[in-house]
This record gives sequence, structure tokens and C-alpha cells, in this order.
Amino acid sequence: MEKITNQIPKNISISAFLGEKESLRVRLLSQAVSLALFILLWRRMSLYYNNQLLLPTPGSTFTAFIGLFGDPEIWENLLLTLERVLKGFACALLIGAPIGLLMGSSKIAMYMFDPLLGCIRQVPLMAWIPLSIIWFGLGNGPTIFMIALAGIFAVVLNTVAGVRNISPDYYHAARSMGAGTWCIFLRVVLPCALPDILGGARLALGSGWMAVICAEFIATSAGFGFSMVEAQTRMETEKLLALMVLGALVGYTMDKCVCAIGNRLTRWK
Amino acid sequence: MIKLKVDHIRKTFSRNGEEQIVLEDVSFSVDEGRFVSILGPSGCGKTTLLSILAGFQRATGGSITLGDRKVSGPGPDRGFVFQNYALFPWMTVRENVMFPMKRQRIPKDQRERTFARLIGIAQLEGRENFYPKELSGGMKQRTAFIRALAGQPEILLMDEPMGAVDFQMRQKLQEELESLWLKERITVIMVTHDVDEAVYLSDRVIVLSARRGCIMDDSPIDLPRPRDRDDQHYEGHKARLSAQLRMAFRES
Ligand SMILES: Nc1ncnc2c1ncn2[C@@H]1O[C@H](COP(=O)(O)OP(=O)(O)OP(=O)(O)O)[C@@H](O)[C@H]1O
Ligand SMILES: [Mg+2]
Repeated sequence: MEKITNQIPKNISISAFLGEKESLRVRLLSQAVSLALFILLWRRMSLYYNNQLLLPTPGSTFTAFIGLFGDPEIWENLLLTLERVLKGFACALLIGAPIGLLMGSSKIAMYMFDPLLGCIRQVPLMAWIPLSIIWFGLGNGPTIFMIALAGIFAVVLNTVAGVRNISPDYYHAARSMGAGTWCIFLRVVLPCALPDILGGARLALGSGWMAVICAEFIATSAGFGFSMVEAQTRMETEKLLALMVLGALVGYTMDKCVCAIGNRLTRWK
Repeated sequence: MIKLKVDHIRKTFSRNGEEQIVLEDVSFSVDEGRFVSILGPSGCGKTTLLSILAGFQRATGGSITLGDRKVSGPGPDRGFVFQNYALFPWMTVRENVMFPMKRQRIPKDQRERTFARLIGIAQLEGRENFYPKELSGGMKQRTAFIRALAGQPEILLMDEPMGAVDFQMRQKLQEELESLWLKERITVIMVTHDVDEAVYLSDRVIVLSARRGCIMDDSPIDLPRPRDRDDQHYEGHKARLSAQLRMAFRES
């Protein structure tokens, strides 16, 4: 079972071969330049098409974005969605990590779960939506289910990889110091696999945030995704874009939070 | 008094149905409080032998007796220092060294006293709350050594404990290790492929042959400690063992 990593690994010095210098000024400047270029390109294109319905200008999107802050309905929907994401994420973590720990530790558990999970994982996520509506009705149920489902495989696979990569020397060392099986699990397996579990959690939160918006398009009449559908049906494209920007920023912040918590928990790394 | 008795140990691995003999017939015994080195060319089965003594692997035949008990599986009566130290990176120096004592339910005040003493002899004062990644190679080595001692084992097994450091550091560590050992006087079996290290540290050196691992030579080093590396007798022992090692190597 391979571990999922679709993120740029941290602690890798990207500039090694170009010999670039790392400094806060360079960093902020590069970020500002790329943002400016992006907005300029956007502006050029929206002026070219000259159709607020197809592609609003950055300016009108920004105005709509500011407008979001005065709209209590948006915040209610956002909070509702965040609550769903956190609940679904918690489910993915609390179910996925134990399964992964079990599969990583025991061959029998591996034989039992691996083919099953490997197959279920191949079912496209969106294909679960109709069934989840049958099971849970509309509203919180199907959305939380979808979020959990979107994240659980990343948690399981990363946890398995984490446990399997533990050097046998650590087990030998612990045994020769008088540790029993349960102690080895708590004091060796768990802390040693923690960085990988957290890596899985990070992926799970990311996919959960994407899944929730999709699920809310279909399976509910409230939430952030629903706000987007509403903006679309009312043909308020600049509001739709503003919501997308807000969604991106919220997702980015959540990712950074998980990273920060992870770094706190694995300071020994 | 005999502390460890190794009796006709045999170890084979089967690869693709073919039996590969790593240790043919190894027997020796070690007296209490002695420092014994096992010397041999790379791949002759030193690590295999040591991990059988530790109980990490099972021998195909033969038996091991420690004190008056037969060895079967790992246990805190045998401390182990790994070639790469195997310190737990998620634990501080303090937590690493406390680990074996907690497992053996040693009372807290006694634990603290032992810890303070061990940190003292390893000269790691002020580094108690460092993580292994924050230690130098030598500090890691000393931490691994006192961690193995902390569980109060009856015998210490060390697999090339100085394999991962450079030449100058190695000599310094050997001196440190000797002075630590002189304070504790525990029975030690150390695996190495470095002749100088074996002569500097050991009371006795056992040479394993490369092919069909069996004992080629078993002789005492009766020089006063601390040893003078430029001494004529020291050089003599080195020359003798080097010649033996070359022979052991040629056999393969
Ligand atoms: N698990 C295993 N399966 C098959 N063969 C093995 C296994 N472990 C060791 N061997 C073989 O046993 C022999 C001895 O290995 P060992 O690791 O004990 O050597 P060593 O003397 O410690 O060498 P070095 O000085 O390089 O560490 C080698 O030929 C190796 O291929
Ligand atoms: Mg070896």
C-alpha cells in the first residue's frame, strides 16, 4: 500500500540547485508579484470578454467579496459548513487512524481490510451521494458522511505506511528494555507513526472541504455550497466568484492550522 | 565465575530452498565482569550472533545460558546498544534513559538517583531535555550506552557501537567508553571489525571466520588499563589480530 502524498513536502529546500537565498523580503515580494500577475491576467480576460455574467472583473468581485461580510446569511451558512467539515473530519480520523494502526500492526488485519478498502476506494466519491441521501435524508447526514468518506482513505493509508516504516530496531530496543506489547504500541508505534497520521489528517481535511461543497450542491438546502448554487441561479456571478475566493481562503487557513498543530505535536522531528 | 555460556550455536537461513549456513558451531563462555570483543570480517555473522544472544532472533540449534537461566527471547537482563543507537527520536534524553527503569517499575526516587548518576558519568548534564536530533554523534552514543545501563542488565551487548563516527571521534569515544565501563564493571560483549578498537577495549578477543562462521581464535589481551596505543605489546596484539583477520577474510 503506498502512501498518498499530493502535496509539496515541507523541509525540502527547493532552491538547492539554483542557489537562491531565503529571506522574508524575497518571499513576500515573490508572493506579491505572483498575486499581481494573476489579478492582471484575470482583469485582461474579463475586459476582453466584457461580460459581467461570464467573467466579472477583479474589481466587481472584490466589491462582492466585501459585500459578503455584511450578509449574515453567508456567515450562518459558512459556520454550518465548517461544523459539518469538522464533524466529518473527526469521523475520518477517529475511524481511519485505528483501522490504519491495526492494519499496519497485524498481518491478519491487513489481509482482511486491504482488498475491501482497495475496492471501496475505487468507487467515485460523487457516486455515493444518491445512496447517502437514501440513507441519511437531506441535510447534515449525507454531507458529514461524504466528508468522512472523502478523507478516511488518506488517513488509513498514511497511518499504515507510518506503522510499516517503523524500524524493527525500535521494537527490539523496547523489548530488550522490558516493554510489553501494549506498552510498545503506546510508547513506540503511536508516537512513531504520528507524523504520518497527521499527514493523512491534513489530506483528509483538504478533501473534506472539497467534498462538502459538492455534497451541499445536491444534498442540502443550507450551507456554503448551497449559497454558491443560489448565487449561480440568481445569475450573480461576481458573488459566486467572491464565494469561491472566500472558500479558498477558509480552506487555506484550515490547512495551515492543521500544519501548525502537527508541528507542535512532532517537535522532535 | 561464568556469566554467559554459548553452546554450539548454529544459525542457517534458507534462501530459495537452499540452506545458507551463517554460524556453523559457535561455543564460548564469558566470565563475570569481562569485556569481550567479537572480531570478524564484514558479513561473517557478527550481528546475527549478537542478536541471537539478545533474543531478537532464534538460533537454529544450540543454547545460551545467562547466569543459570536459558535465554529465549529478548529481556531486560541483557542491555543492547545498537549500531545506529536506536534512541527513540520522539523522546528526550531523559525520557529515553528513564524508559527501561519505568518498564521495570523501579520506584521514582530511586529512578531519579540512578538517572542523575548516569547523566553524570556520561557527561550529559544540561542535555537532559534535548531530543536525539539535537545531540552530536558522541552524545547519542553515550545516551544509548547509559540507556542500556539504566535497566541494570546483567550483561551488555554492543553492535559496533562506534561504527557511525569518524576516526578521531572513535578514539575519543573508546576512551570514554572504557572509563564508563571501569566505573560500572558490567559484563560486555562488543562486536566490531576494528582491530584497534578490540585491542584497546577488551580483556579478550574472539575472531570469527568469514566462511561458515566459526571461532578462529580466542585469546586474552593482558595489558594494563588505560592502554597506551603506542606501546610495543599493544602493537604486537594488533599485528597478530590483523594477520588473523586477513586470514579469516581470505577463507571466504
Ligand atoms: N534475515 C536474513 N536472511 C537471510 N540471510 C541473512 C539474514 N540476516 C543475515 N543474513 C546473512 O548472514 C550473513 C551474516 O550477516 P551479519 O549481519 O550477521 O554480518 P556481520 O558480520 O554483522 O557483518 P557487518 O560487519 O557487515 O555488519 C550475511 O551473509 C547475510 O547475508
Ligand atoms: Mg553487523
